[in-house]
Amino acid sequence: MPHPTQSFVRNCLLSAIDTAGYAAIGPHLEPVDLPKGTVLIEAGVPFTHVHFFNRGIGSVVISTADSRRVEAGIFGREGLSGFGCLLGADQCPQTTLVQVEGEGYRVSIDALRDACQQSNSLRETLLRFVHVFISQTSFTALSNVNQSVEGRLARWLLMCHDRVTGDDIALTHEFLSIMLAVQRPSVTTALHMIESYGFIKARRGNITIVDRDALIDFADGMYGTPEAEYRRLIGPFG
Amino acid sequence: MSRFYLHQQTASGIIEDPDGTEVSDLAAARHEAILAARQLLANAILHGVAPLGAAFQISDEAGQVLLTVPFREALPPHFISID
Repeated sequence: MPHPTQSFVRNCLLSAIDTAGYAAIGPHLEPVDLPKGTVLIEAGVPFTHVHFFNRGIGSVVISTADSRRVEAGIFGREGLSGFGCLLGADQCPQTTLVQVEGEGYRVSIDALRDACQQSNSLRETLLRFVHVFISQTSFTALSNVNQSVEGRLARWLLMCHDRVTGDDIALTHEFLSIMLAVQRPSVTTALHMIESYGFIKARRGNITIVDRDALIDFADGMYGTPEAEYRRLIGPFG
Repeated sequence: MSRFYLHQQTASGIIEDPDGTEVSDLAAARHEAILAARQLLANAILHGVAPLGAAFQISDEAGQVLLTVPFREALPPHFISID
């Protein structure tokens, strides 16, 4: 079966592994569309596939018993869904869904585990991503406790900006309120405030990043460390 | 279910609610406004951000203002006695 060449793939993990590592996984890559809202991993349901994104944003969310959700972390073309299977788990308590539509490749978990046994480069690169993702969720915890809604929103917009092409991010206030686990008017007010500073332009269903450096300053150290860790350990992204 | 809009009244104008929220009736919309005001006030108190608004105007889809909910009404009654 023909499969994409390493120079063709846009996923940063697949680009970062060595030639032998790519030879181990390449034949198992099945191209898939990733429409908005697609559930890739369901909480408590055994893993079947991981998804390497070329484009789009995936969101890992955790829910209360009465279905209130908060986002634990996001990833895009720098990562993959379902990495718990690399750590010996068969399922997880979080749900992973597509937040911004995209496309990528899926790989069955059996094929991924076989490929990881064949290639140290592949296994180590994927585990480094897990390490970076844990750093991201740690900063999310810190940010949730310490930051104002405006600061959390700034950090989150920067993380989305890293994972889209261009400066526009298509998101509704409703969606942002779920991701940040705040009431919708808090999102509306926070967007209004950040816009009044000139950092973004907010239109219905769309946010444009105008002054990224100012947003980074405003995020007050809560953005940037996991991203730097990724570049140090794995390679370019964003 | 009906769609209600929680527009925020501020000293410098209205911050519009672009999307609105689906709830059963005006009483449920008022409850949403109270919860939202509490969160805005809490964020302002915890992080030293000035609260932008002083009240929510609850409107229907036609833009008719049905009810104004001052942020003060979001405070539990015993808080009022602080001042």
